[in-house]
Amino acid sequence: MILGIDVGGTHTDAVCIDGGAVRATAKTLTVGDLVHSIREVIRALDIDCRKVERTILSTTLSTNAIIEKTFAPAGMIISAGPGIDPRNYFLTDDFHLVSGAIDHRGREYIPIRPDEIRGVSSKLKAKGVSGVGIVSKFSARNPAHEQGIHSLIKGDFEHVSMGHTLSGSLNFPRRIHTTFFNTSVMPVQKRFMLSVRQALAELGIESQLLFLKADGGTYPASATELYPVETILSGPAASMMGGLALSTDPGITTLVMDIGGTTTDIGILIQGVPILEPKGVSIDGLKTLVRGLKVVSVGAGGDSCVSLVGGELRVGPHREGPPVCLGGPMPTPMDALAVLGSFPSGNIDKARSAIAPIAGVLGVGIEDVSRQIVSALVRNMRDKAREFIDEVNRYPVYTIYEMLHPELVEPRQVLAIGGPAAQLRPFLEDAFGMKCVVPGHAMVANALGAALARTTTQITMVADTQLGRMVCPEMGIDEKVGSSLTMEDLKKQGKGILTEHLALQGITGNLEISILEEQTFNIVRGFSSAGRNFRLKLQTKPGILDQWSVTC
Amino acid sequence: MLTAKRKTGLIFFPAYDWEISPTHPERQERLLYTQDQVLEEGVLDIEGIKEFKAGLATDKDICRPHFCVPDVDSRITPSHNVSAGGCIEAARLVLEGTVERAFALVRPPGHHAMRVVQGARGFCNINIEAVMIEWVRKHYPRIKKIAVVDTDCHHGDGTQDIYWHDPNVLYISLHQDGRTLYPGSGFPEEFGGPNARGMTLNVPLPPRTSDAGILHVIENFVLPVIDDFKPDLIINSAGQDNHYSDPITNMSFTAGGYARLNELLSPHIAVLEGGYSIEAALPYVNTGIILALAGVDYSYIREPDLNPDRIREDPRIIDYIKNLCDKLLDMWNARGTIDVPEPGLQQRRRNIFYDTDGITENQNEVIRVCTLCPGAFRIDSNADTGYRILGVHIPWGACSRCREQGLSWFEDADADRYYAVYLQDMDNDEYCVKVT
Repeated sequence: MILGIDVGGTHTDAVCIDGGAVRATAKTLTVGDLVHSIREVIRALDIDCRKVERTILSTTLSTNAIIEKTFAPAGMIISAGPGIDPRNYFLTDDFHLVSGAIDHRGREYIPIRPDEIRGVSSKLKAKGVSGVGIVSKFSARNPAHEQGIHSLIKGDFEHVSMGHTLSGSLNFPRRIHTTFFNTSVMPVQKRFMLSVRQALAELGIESQLLFLKADGGTYPASATELYPVETILSGPAASMMGGLALSTDPGITTLVMDIGGTTTDIGILIQGVPILEPKGVSIDGLKTLVRGLKVVSVGAGGDSCVSLVGGELRVGPHREGPPVCLGGPMPTPMDALAVLGSFPSGNIDKARSAIAPIAGVLGVGIEDVSRQIVSALVRNMRDKAREFIDEVNRYPVYTIYEMLHPELVEPRQVLAIGGPAAQLRPFLEDAFGMKCVVPGHAMVANALGAALARTTTQITMVADTQLGRMVCPEMGIDEKVGSSLTMEDLKKQGKGILTEHLALQGITGNLEISILEEQTFNIVRGFSSAGRNFRLKLQTKPGILDQWSVTC
Repeated sequence: MLTAKRKTGLIFFPAYDWEISPTHPERQERLLYTQDQVLEEGVLDIEGIKEFKAGLATDKDICRPHFCVPDVDSRITPSHNVSAGGCIEAARLVLEGTVERAFALVRPPGHHAMRVVQGARGFCNINIEAVMIEWVRKHYPRIKKIAVVDTDCHHGDGTQDIYWHDPNVLYISLHQDGRTLYPGSGFPEEFGGPNARGMTLNVPLPPRTSDAGILHVIENFVLPVIDDFKPDLIINSAGQDNHYSDPITNMSFTAGGYARLNELLSPHIAVLEGGYSIEAALPYVNTGIILALAGVDYSYIREPDLNPDRIREDPRIIDYIKNLCDKLLDMWNARGTIDVPEPGLQQRRRNIFYDTDGITENQNEVIRVCTLCPGAFRIDSNADTGYRILGVHIPWGACSRCREQGLSWFEDADADRYYAVYLQDMDNDEYCVKVT
């Protein structure tokens, strides 16, 4: 049995999967303590907890800690050398710049100074910071400085993390922010894990525990303790993976629309794989290297406020409260749907009286105006989706081949989930001009997504045969290589690294390893070849577990 | 967080799947470390700096400044469409107002490609700035006067050639003295054609000129001239082979110097030309240029091995440069009186060598001296590949006499003598070839 739980801002959803089908679902209100919500929703499922083999959690723990600033800010030790002044990226007084510089090929040209580092460490200890993040420029090409600083200070602090372990991608400012958030959230995550483990134990659940990440993949609890920052923004990821799980046609490029009360989140699935933010996600206005879905939000939801501006109908972008037909203050699209008979839960008389004045001003009938309101709502969604697709299709490319053979993204169907999805379906089909699917279990799609998401990992490998070195930063690998190294060798080694890493976490079976990027360059000095520069990014792909079936 | 003072667009096209040959300086690796540096510095995350996709220049775009012999497709590969297309995109972004400044960090380069293209020379097949400029003049007629400041270490003889007769395009080139470096030209007496005197300005610099020398030229010659000319658009051909670490040249410019140059010049569009110190120079120079264009502090950018004492110029070089600038400024101020042409037709004969392809060409050019317009001209070009062609150019804003003259040159061309006869009619945006 698989247990998937998504703790959202308003609701906590849970599903229990057994034998490839949904056995039980539950939805409760998220009240204060996350662990309490988790306990309550599991109780609501009413299942035999002893049979659970795998529990996956998607929570807003890290996201909330960062946005509400309830984390204990970590101290940071940063080495950079010349370039853009790193102090531009310092967030608190506990960010310290130390000597040390590494160039773009991973060669050190200014060493770190142990005395200086010990001095900084003492200062941070005196300040009482719970953790220290360590970041150096170009650590993704050579982690030696981060590792050197780490070995000097690790005994002094409870939580320490190094930039190169969080991502093998280049971008020093993002690496700084990512490491800062990661280290700062580690104590929050640690406390949460203790509580959760205890709560699960009390319920009789002795299962593998995993967490959902921002890229729609999962990773085990042990990894979460070291890299909690990867769980930020897992909510939208849960919806997307839920949408994917419920899709009967995963091969088609699909627009996934998660329609809420205030906003609609839009993402795209290509061949069952969600489009990711190419450089990493942003949180609280700061950019990171965290791998996450590319999701855009539009102020268009079931409860978007309907108004007249300059004699023209406007829907959203704000929400003033529930629809009038449920006792709210101002008319919303749900009222329009109630008038049209699509929303039986709402009081149709109240809905009509809310819409009537608008109809009066526009000089049309109440049913007509109601249709216009809903159409305006979905048009806002469609325009935002179009903007999103155009943006993706304008990404720069760096080879002539790609310039001449552009691979444009063009969705062929819409998958709508969330409260008003079913009622909006015909309007969505109309506005988008394509099939719109609203799957069953749409109400707990998030929890389903969490339950069924595959484990994902990404590694970067950069090999330079002139310097005779290969670095895989995420795994902390920095080793010598010979001049006869080929890309095939590297790929084989990379697959081995991924397989072994996941096996250590108890994950085996069909891993679906795919190549994200591969490039080979001749290194030429003088007029002859001096070696080759290889870049490789491998991942286990986001997706849905094999044994799932949609019919349930 | 860091914010740009001026919205700046970067078109980065490193052509990772193209090279002249595997060990040639123009190869896939050339911009790799530049990309690494720009990414690691987080330049593209700065508020106001954004990367855009390159575009594809069409054959017609390429026919505006060039007579390609025998035709466009024979002289280029798709890499050139993209490189020129990247420049056009940069111009479009600026002229549409999407950004205030743009940098086309593209390869392959173009400033050695002349109006007649019988082959490739100096790693260039087509002149990417000229393709961009003619695209601008076609699509944005409000842009009448353009200044091109070419700071590549080599004299941009191609760009000079294309705009030799054009009084509306001011071409200024700073370069290592042609007596010491390819292509061997670019002297002060090369001062512009009969209808465009003073619109070509060459500043040949001694080897080992460094920041002080080059910036002196910018501050004391280039900026006053531009101030006087008042162009609608300023373009910097930003070749980076002036750097002290460049393997095929002898100058001593630094990344900080390049950034300062761009800060002073503030070109609307910068275009990469040469520059083959791909590890020790390009990553730092390009980061500096982008920051300078955007108005972001670049003062902490520095090459790892920078040793200012080792590269500072001999004071005699500075004196030489000061004298040179004074003389050039005098020439600029007196341009209406230097070498005033007699009315009628003027002829020029030249030999051009295409080093990349090993081709020699003889050119016989005739221009109609004209006070009303830039003047129609014809070029009889004979290459040792066997292609002899006639190219006729009717300029932007051609007066009726020059138009008549151009058309009659085209109609009356001797079919037996030429493989093909070409016509460039700028105002009507028509480019025809008669293969005879």
